[in-house]
Amino acid sequence: MCTGRMDPAIIADAFIHGLDGLLVLGCLFGECHYVSGNFNARHKINMTGEMLAYAGMNPGRLSFRNLSSAESELFVKHVTDFSTEIRELGPLGGEADKVPLPKLKENLEIAKTALAGPKLRWVVGKKSVFVDTGNKYHEVFTEHEINRTLSGIVIDEMATHSIMAALQNKSASVKELAKELEIPPPETLKYVLALKRRGFLEMESVKDHTPLYKYVEQEG
Amino acid sequence: MEKEEVRIGVYVCKCGSNIAGLLDVEALAEYASTLPNVVFAPWNLYTCSDVGLDEIKKGIKEQNLNRVVVASCSPRTHEPLFRSVCGEAGLNPYLFEMVNIRDQCSWVHVGHEEDAMVKARDLIRMGVAKAALLKPQEIIVSEVEVKALVIGSGIAGLTAATTLANRGFPVILLEKEKELGGMLRSLYKLAPMDADASEVINEKIKEAEDNPNIEIYTGATIDKVEGFIGKFNVTFSANGTSKDVRLGVVIIATGAGNLVPEGLYQYDGEKVITQWELEGKLKSGKIDANNVVIIQCVGARSPERQYCSRICCAIGIKNAILIKEMNPEARVHILYRDLMMYGVENEDQLRKAKELGVRFVKYDPERPPVVEENKVTVFHHLMGKELEIPQEMVVLSTPLVGTEDGVKVGNLFRAGLDQNNFFLEAHVKLKPLDCATDGIFICGSAHYPKNVRESILQALGAASRASIPLSQGEVKIEPIVTTLVNKDACRGCGLCVALCPYNALEIKETDEGRKVNIITVACKGCGVCAATCFRHALGINSFTDEQIQAQIHGFLAA
Repeated sequence: MCTGRMDPAIIADAFIHGLDGLLVLGCLFGECHYVSGNFNARHKINMTGEMLAYAGMNPGRLSFRNLSSAESELFVKHVTDFSTEIRELGPLGGEADKVPLPKLKENLEIAKTALAGPKLRWVVGKKSVFVDTGNKYHEVFTEHEINRTLSGIVIDEMATHSIMAALQNKSASVKELAKELEIPPPETLKYVLALKRRGFLEMESVKDHTPLYKYVEQEG
Repeated sequence: MEKEEVRIGVYVCKCGSNIAGLLDVEALAEYASTLPNVVFAPWNLYTCSDVGLDEIKKGIKEQNLNRVVVASCSPRTHEPLFRSVCGEAGLNPYLFEMVNIRDQCSWVHVGHEEDAMVKARDLIRMGVAKAALLKPQEIIVSEVEVKALVIGSGIAGLTAATTLANRGFPVILLEKEKELGGMLRSLYKLAPMDADASEVINEKIKEAEDNPNIEIYTGATIDKVEGFIGKFNVTFSANGTSKDVRLGVVIIATGAGNLVPEGLYQYDGEKVITQWELEGKLKSGKIDANNVVIIQCVGARSPERQYCSRICCAIGIKNAILIKEMNPEARVHILYRDLMMYGVENEDQLRKAKELGVRFVKYDPERPPVVEENKVTVFHHLMGKELEIPQEMVVLSTPLVGTEDGVKVGNLFRAGLDQNNFFLEAHVKLKPLDCATDGIFICGSAHYPKNVRESILQALGAASRASIPLSQGEVKIEPIVTTLVNKDACRGCGLCVALCPYNALEIKETDEGRKVNIITVACKGCGVCAATCFRHALGINSFTDEQIQAQIHGFLAA
């Protein structure tokens, strides 16, 4: 089993179930026991950290560090340091986190759905390929470019999945959604229309000339 | 399948005083008995003793246990034993889970008894939570085609091929050149024995050619490679005809190339030559220079080629000795940065060179020597001043470099190369002869610059490694591999195929559309694919998402 097995959605799930900190320790880069798994892990964990931070969690709660299996003293140092850092941050949802409980866990649930979904997993999975050998059209990207794209997707995915979650059990107008989710109304409208086009939302009714949207159950 | 009640037995081991010295093992067993699905939780003095193992067997029979957890030492040493005991008692060996409360608890938390007990309880709770979800697995057995492919016919390839052939295995030997022999064909004498390179290699070539088990193809190129350990399909063409062969194992011995130092130290191939070219001159006995300057580390240990080629110091000194022996009047200078003369024989060579009057001057890479019309100017590190050395011939010691053909072979077989295009071993210490992909082995300078003796040693080792699957006729593989847990979910997108470091996944057209197919023999169970699949169609046997999550939830449930 490799650090590359770390599933972003499982990481989010662990925080939802009461984890206060997660330290992932992998092989040194270039010396991965599974050839390239630790690079994959780094991409995934960096992205997951960004997502969870955007959801309101202190980014210091998730860390990826590297050492060889012969470095026992370094292992103890990493574990001791990290434990101290997490004790200083205190329990999840406390002062160290941007968003308090229970809202933080609601946000983390939304983040988990996004982390389990196709968009982030595709881009992060293909990151090494895009940076090393380029895409289908032989365009090679810098790590910086991919990270910027990923940051954009993190924001989009969080908004999109928040809207879908909010409309699971009720219908609402764009204005109401914008207020509830604290997303600017024009952005909210953009996301809602995109979701409607993709068949995730439908217009349920019109109230005072304002359309109300609700979530459409998906198959498969 | 009928859903049966989960009945877990937890055996907590004292390991003499190894565990019981710090942890209250009886209290841990008591605690284990309160966990969900646990019906039986004894403690043992030594679970791995005959008494302990009998208790596991007895528990499975008398308590109808269908999952066994042992909380003791390291799975590295004891998991196979406990698994096989479960098997003997009629329980599938993969319904066993091991918890390490010795190496990861009692040994490392001496002096923290309270905290160690909390951790031991956490670990046992996690093991039990996972055990409840374990599924039976069967060992994977795959047949091996008893035939080997050796790529490259230098000293390493020839040695590997004849070694395998002498053990009775059929071998196909491919060489891209028209003649066998590789680099040794153009060398003169080999240090430290003064052996004639041609004699050494010709003897090896004859041995290979006379061996009825070796099929030799010269002028060969490999076109296509498919398959995995035991069942490689290789297509190659030699002398205008194409051929398909099925093979069990592959040995890569593609060798290395010589760096041509264009633009360095006035290199012209006539008055300023490489060691390689000097070998040719020595061979033909044509050295008429009285003042010879040898410069080491040319194009090596530099920003663009940071590695040390290891063998050039010995080559430089060997050739300096040869020149001195041919013409004792010759003045030979060796300009070096550091001398890599490891081992008893090399030390002797160095001493011999000094005795013969070869002068050694250490230069600073910041102030490299300057080659001019009839002299070489060098800043003497120790004397702190410029030296002017007259020269009639300058010899540059250049490193061995990875070759384009090596890269091609590496890509075809998905064998990893480093940034200098040398082949990477699977593990520097534990698997130095294997590629990361099973069934592929490396030897000779394709792996790293090596002298003849090292190449032969590594070739013997690689042949020995390769003969394991050949003599067993089958490979047995732990079933801890990727599995398509949800076939309906898979859409055949191929993201997992792109990420697999072992070529163990492929997309196949099926009656239900494009689906991933897992080549279990090639899979190492790293889990990158399962952690990436956005359809959540893939899992790893004994490490499924559900099992991992159960462990995490078990940990957090305290």
